[in-house]
Amino acid sequence: MPPPRRAEDFDPSRAGTPGSRPGAPGPRPAEDFDPGLARERTRLAWTRTAIAFAAVGAAVLKSHLVAGLTVLGLAGVVWGLRQLFRDTAVTRSQTARLLGVTLTVVAVALVALVLSFVGHPR
Amino acid sequence: MATADHSSDPGVAAEAGAAPVTETEPDARYTFANERTFLAWTRTALAFILAGLGIVQLLPPFPGVPWGRHLLGVPLIVLGAAIAVVGYWQWAGNQKALRRGEPVRRSPLPLLLAAAIGGLAVVTAVVLLLSAMH
Repeated sequence: MPPPRRAEDFDPSRAGTPGSRPGAPGPRPAEDFDPGLARERTRLAWTRTAIAFAAVGAAVLKSHLVAGLTVLGLAGVVWGLRQLFRDTAVTRSQTARLLGVTLTVVAVALVALVLSFVGHPR
Repeated sequence: MATADHSSDPGVAAEAGAAPVTETEPDARYTFANERTFLAWTRTALAFILAGLGIVQLLPPFPGVPWGRHLLGVPLIVLGAAIAVVGYWQWAGNQKALRRGEPVRRSPLPLLLAAAIGGLAVVTAVVLLLSAMH
């Protein structure tokens, strides 16, 4: 098992700086600052989640214009959050971010419930 | 697993020796993995909401079962919200367990998902049979 990685080990701006490995000349390989590409995979997971929000937004758009555009806007917000997760320490901000995503999904579910009853099914 | 991993890092070991802290920052890979799991459940929740909305809004009504679409769609939407909330609760619990080096709790979500899908399949069959008998 390799040594544990700290949040600061995942800083891509450190790519190309001399490695911490003794006797390893040249730029550090990608694996060095993103072990297992965990950072990149998490970024892609945020992207997929934003796309899922957009899909729900498009579905809501079919029944209600304003509600649909709101959900599509939320997809944009989640897309923006994709850039912020680099702070891996579980700080209040990360908890707030994930709680925000959760509450957003609950809000979207409530919108979908309301539309189920007051929308105009075709 | 996280605890055993930490013991190989001299910095963390020294830190733990100086002051006996019960919580340490886990390996960032575990933090990332936990976050990806949360995001995967979030997408599952969104898929449920999308399916529920699609059934209610896009399907033609079941002949003879006017409430059929709502009977199938509304539970899917409610389940989507529930999965999102349980997913967050699980993320927070896992992160706490990682920080303390405790084993992570078993997830209630697979059972919830299996029971809900099984139940919905039965309800769907009943609605279709009622509609066919009409």
